[in-house]
Amino acid sequence: MSIVAKAIAQSDRADRFLSSAELTQLQDFFNQGNVRISVAQKLAANQQTIVDQGSQQFWSQCPNTPSNRGNSQKTALCQRDQGWYIRLVSYCVLAGNSKPLEDIGLDGMREMYVSLGVPLANLKIAMRCLKTVAMGLLSSEEAALAGPYFDQLIRAF
Amino acid sequence: MQDTITAVINPADEKGTYLEGEALDQLKQYFQSGTLRVKAATQIGASAANIISETVAKSLLYGDITLPGGNMYPTRRYAACLRDLTYFLRYSTYAMLAADASIIDERILNGLKDTYAALGVPIEPTMQAIQSMKEVVTQKVGAEAGQEMDIYLDHIINGLS
Repeated sequence: MSIVAKAIAQSDRADRFLSSAELTQLQDFFNQGNVRISVAQKLAANQQTIVDQGSQQFWSQCPNTPSNRGNSQKTALCQRDQGWYIRLVSYCVLAGNSKPLEDIGLDGMREMYVSLGVPLANLKIAMRCLKTVAMGLLSSEEAALAGPYFDQLIRAF
Repeated sequence: MQDTITAVINPADEKGTYLEGEALDQLKQYFQSGTLRVKAATQIGASAANIISETVAKSLLYGDITLPGGNMYPTRRYAACLRDLTYFLRYSTYAMLAADASIIDERILNGLKDTYAALGVPIEPTMQAIQSMKEVVTQKVGAEAGQEMDIYLDHIINGLS
């Protein structure tokens, strides 16, 4: 679901054409198109850096965590998931909507990590570290578009 | 419903990849065409009733269909025809904004031919009316946006034929 699909769906439910508020919202979204593309490109190009630096920050704040206990397989899996969350944030920025993050990465997330024995409180810190590193790589305009999705991700843990 | 953004995100997620290359270019083009789409949707929404009246005048009004025995007689069926033409216009406008025809398939074309057959609504004049609607819409929104709307109104015509 994108911001465009969302505006259409709510108009459809009310049996009407799009309202002028909805049309203005879509125009604003399209106006930011180039910035959105650039956020997606930067997150893609820097995913590894964000995960690596984010992990270092995370382990210094929270050393006793499954990804920092010397099991390289487990560390790789945790870092893979972190990379996935960065990818989902990039989808959200392009869609102008948090549904990609919610549908792909948050629905069922708590149950999964509880079952894996990964403490949610630790993950919250990890996600906050990813955000810090990512924000540092983006311009202020880009950060303003990506930041809210990282915040939603942090809140979810 | 699907729109052009989710249509490129979903397959990327299936592969676990970021949007890059062709898919990202497709989105870039869509974003660039956004202003044209929003402007057209604004104009169409603001003059929808007008567009429908002109469409009917161009295609149906002076034919046998509005006379006793025709499918736009009596007034109840005339009004139903106006309502359906408004649906066609509204869903084509949605699809034009989304740059994706799937909402037309889901909400308009799914079962439409059977419904029209059951109600005795003739297909040929319906298609003629949509042809006229294309012309009326292009007059309102200009050639470039008109071409974009044609894609989705043609999609309905093709679905009826």
